[in-house]
Amino acid sequence: MTDINTTLPGQERYVAPLEETPLQTVDTVDESAPATSMWSDAWRTLRRNPLFIISAILIVFIIFVALFPGVFTKTDPNYCTLDDSLEPARPGHPFGFDMQGCDVYARVVYGTRTSLSVGILSTLIVVAVGTLIGAIAGFCGGWIDAVLSRIVDIFMAIPMLLGAIVVLQMFRTVTSIWKVVLVLALFGWVSTARIARGAVLSSKNLEFNTASTALGSTPMRNLFRHILPNSLAPIIVIATTSLGSYIVSEATLSFLGIGLPSTTVSWGGDISNAQSILRTDPMVLFYPSVALAVTVLAFIMMGDAVKDALDPKSRTA
Amino acid sequence: MSEQTNIDDKLDQLQRAEGPLLEVKDLQVDFTTDDGRAVHAVRDSSFSVYPGQWVAIVGESGSGKSTSAMACLGLLPGTGKVVGGSIKLNGTEISHYAQKEFVNVRGSKMGLVPQDPMSNLNPVWRIGTQVKEALVANNMDVSHEKRSDLAKALANADIEIKSEGDETFLGSKELPELLEAAEQALVGIGVEGDAFTRKMEYFRSEWVPGSETRWRVADDLIKAGVKDDDAWYIAKKYVTGSSMEDRIAGLLVEAGLPDAATRARQYPHEFSGGMRQRALIAIGLACRPELLIADEPTSALDVTVQKKILDHLQDLTDSLGTAVLFITHDLGLAAERAQHIVVMYKGQVVESGPSLEVLQHPQHPYTKRLVAAAPSLASQRIVSVEEHGQDASSIMEHKVNEQSLETADTIIEVSHLTREFKLPRTKDMFKAVDDVSFKVKRGTTLAIVGESGSGKSTVANMVLKLLEPTSGTVTYNGSDIAQFKGKSLLDFRRHVQPVFQNPYGSLDPMYSIFRSIEEPLRIHKIGDKKSRAARVRELLDLVELPESVMRRYPNELSGGQRQRIAIARAMALNPDVIVCDEAVSALDVLVQDQVLHLLNDLQAKNGLSYLFITHDLAVVRQIADDVVVMQHGKLVEHGTTDEVFLHPQQQYTRDLLDAIPGGKLELGLNLD
Repeated sequence: MTDINTTLPGQERYVAPLEETPLQTVDTVDESAPATSMWSDAWRTLRRNPLFIISAILIVFIIFVALFPGVFTKTDPNYCTLDDSLEPARPGHPFGFDMQGCDVYARVVYGTRTSLSVGILSTLIVVAVGTLIGAIAGFCGGWIDAVLSRIVDIFMAIPMLLGAIVVLQMFRTVTSIWKVVLVLALFGWVSTARIARGAVLSSKNLEFNTASTALGSTPMRNLFRHILPNSLAPIIVIATTSLGSYIVSEATLSFLGIGLPSTTVSWGGDISNAQSILRTDPMVLFYPSVALAVTVLAFIMMGDAVKDALDPKSRTA
Repeated sequence: MSEQTNIDDKLDQLQRAEGPLLEVKDLQVDFTTDDGRAVHAVRDSSFSVYPGQWVAIVGESGSGKSTSAMACLGLLPGTGKVVGGSIKLNGTEISHYAQKEFVNVRGSKMGLVPQDPMSNLNPVWRIGTQVKEALVANNMDVSHEKRSDLAKALANADIEIKSEGDETFLGSKELPELLEAAEQALVGIGVEGDAFTRKMEYFRSEWVPGSETRWRVADDLIKAGVKDDDAWYIAKKYVTGSSMEDRIAGLLVEAGLPDAATRARQYPHEFSGGMRQRALIAIGLACRPELLIADEPTSALDVTVQKKILDHLQDLTDSLGTAVLFITHDLGLAAERAQHIVVMYKGQVVESGPSLEVLQHPQHPYTKRLVAAAPSLASQRIVSVEEHGQDASSIMEHKVNEQSLETADTIIEVSHLTREFKLPRTKDMFKAVDDVSFKVKRGTTLAIVGESGSGKSTVANMVLKLLEPTSGTVTYNGSDIAQFKGKSLLDFRRHVQPVFQNPYGSLDPMYSIFRSIEEPLRIHKIGDKKSRAARVRELLDLVELPESVMRRYPNELSGGQRQRIAIARAMALNPDVIVCDEAVSALDVLVQDQVLHLLNDLQAKNGLSYLFITHDLAVVRQIADDVVVMQHGKLVEHGTTDEVFLHPQQQYTRDLLDAIPGGKLELGLNLD
């Protein structure tokens, strides 16, 4: 065997002095670090993200406007006199008047509520229905999954706007905003269902479910206690990003004249009314468009920030 | 014998004359965290590799062993950066190299065999294409052999290589003609009968297109008795260079893949883990680097496969004169394969020297600790301090004596257990478990050992009633577990608990540690909020974790700590039986040792019975009283641990025992 004499230069026996790397106890818990859960980690990432800060400020502001429009304007958006038709801005009416003589500023402020409620309500329904159906498909598997997945495929094949136009044609007389919400939800739930199914499928096979079954847990308990909580992240991400797109869709439908009735103040309707006078009075179209764009942008930015924070790939374990 | 000594002497002289191939001095590698802090991954580390030498870097995960090696290749991940020290390759400083300069060095001078064979081959390319990529990227001449000076110097001097042309490879086109010519030559010199068949057989197996050179063919012919001139004439006429395909196949054959021409056209998913690792070795050695860096090349493989691959790699690198820098966490492997060993801890080299000397007489306390924890074959059944009073060292006898093994009552009995799975897209059934019977006696440990695919985990899942057997029965305390339903099933679950392999997967990441441990108590509706909290504290204390862990989440804990949490959760209901499915396989030796001791203490204290599933025979020796060896779903051997280890009856068991790295070496002679 090798003895010291034949050791090659530079490969002699070396033992580091103990002071240099003091021995530590095997596998100690670092008690100094703060405890973190997935959510608190995500929150920490979010807090540092400028995208999140900007979008959060915008969204809080938008929600505030939607809840208390009276704080921002005392003018009734439905009070229109033709005397004021296309009048320029004057004190108390910073954005001027539209063709019907309605105050553009007041209509932009009150339109926030419509857009936001359609967006939020549609998202809530979509998440509830999509998650439920996706989770059932992913969790049960077999023929239930096959049937539900085919239904999802069928809905996927229908373009959302086209479908919405066709359905809304049938309910032209209904004036409630619920008809738009329900139609958007009807064609929107499928993408959430797909994502929920995928998320449930991947967390269904994780070992902690087996561990939990071996502890005596039932499959249903596993679904609600372990699988669903672990599938939430991608669902939340798609919900925040699609909220913006529902607001756009509502505006589009109202623009086409089949969304909300003209009696409801909405950005889409106002943009539609303003298009005929675009060449002479572009500002009438400009304000509701900017309001719509900023709102949608805020939600899409928020979705992006949330995605960065919850992205499973950036997290270990 | 004397020839070998000659070569060794010659090698030694050459190594001294040439100096180190790779010399790392005071290397420092820093990683930058998100908030800009520098983490010192490697600090003041020095080691060297001589031509033709195997050097092992050992250490636990996070000790900086891979980082050191990757720094040499310029492949530091993420924010890693060499901030100090020097790395010299053949005397040239490369630590400051830009990526562009590293390109010239990688592949041709330094090759890499990465750790995980599953993710390091591109799934959309054929194996052959991936080997070709390495050859093309380095402009390798595929029709001539490139041999290191060391290999040339070491090769037998009897054969004189006359010209460059003599290093030409044999091509597959000329092979049939060459064989025919060789046959005629043999007939010409009057070789016939058995000797003739044997020699032709030898030629057929040795003359691999794209790997065999002209001078070797000539040498083979001369050794077979053909006259020098005739031999060289035949070799020159028929060995005229190989095509790219030949060379690819040749490289794969060299790496130990049979039927390489077909294999080269296959995709990675058609390969087993061992075959993929061989393909990666072929790629790593494709450009004949002087140094091969192997980062845990076999840690994902079964021991018998590991042995075969490393044996082959050793032959290959010896014949090519390639030096190997070998990164491993397995001390036995390092002791067996490397001449020089470097032990790293917390980013520093704590001890280095000739490998046997370091491992037999460790001096640094960390090395001592590592050697003491290494589950080598020589180790004994762990003896619990609790059971034998405080003086455990004086009593080294088996924990459960033979008599109590015979008299203890059976708690789990498995008889004629069979489980079939339907193979996808066919009507065939695959027998994962085939007629397996054994008994687990109360208060003892039965280990099921086998390689991947042996069906051992399937048995565990059937014992846990997570999977229904196709036929056969499992009884718990005399009653058939197939009958358990509703309340009786819940009761069974309470008494038979699992601890799973993957410490990262078996705890719900959304649950705090407190909730995870409390979960079984909730499911079984035991106690109120207050008493459950008290019980969780008690359990954490049992697995020697501080109470503060309760509020933490699994992602904050190490693998060993998570595994202890999983044990605490399994212990929550005071079970009789714990089924450990590869419970310590993913852990570092020191942590593994700690968890094994914990399991053993719990057994001594609470009279638990364990069904211990593992692929690691060395661990079996430390914890089991009885052993069941499984292969391809069948029970191969069943006996007490001593019987199986000292007098294995079956060839398969003997193979398994032989394959344990460093199994025959006595380490840590100066310990105790």
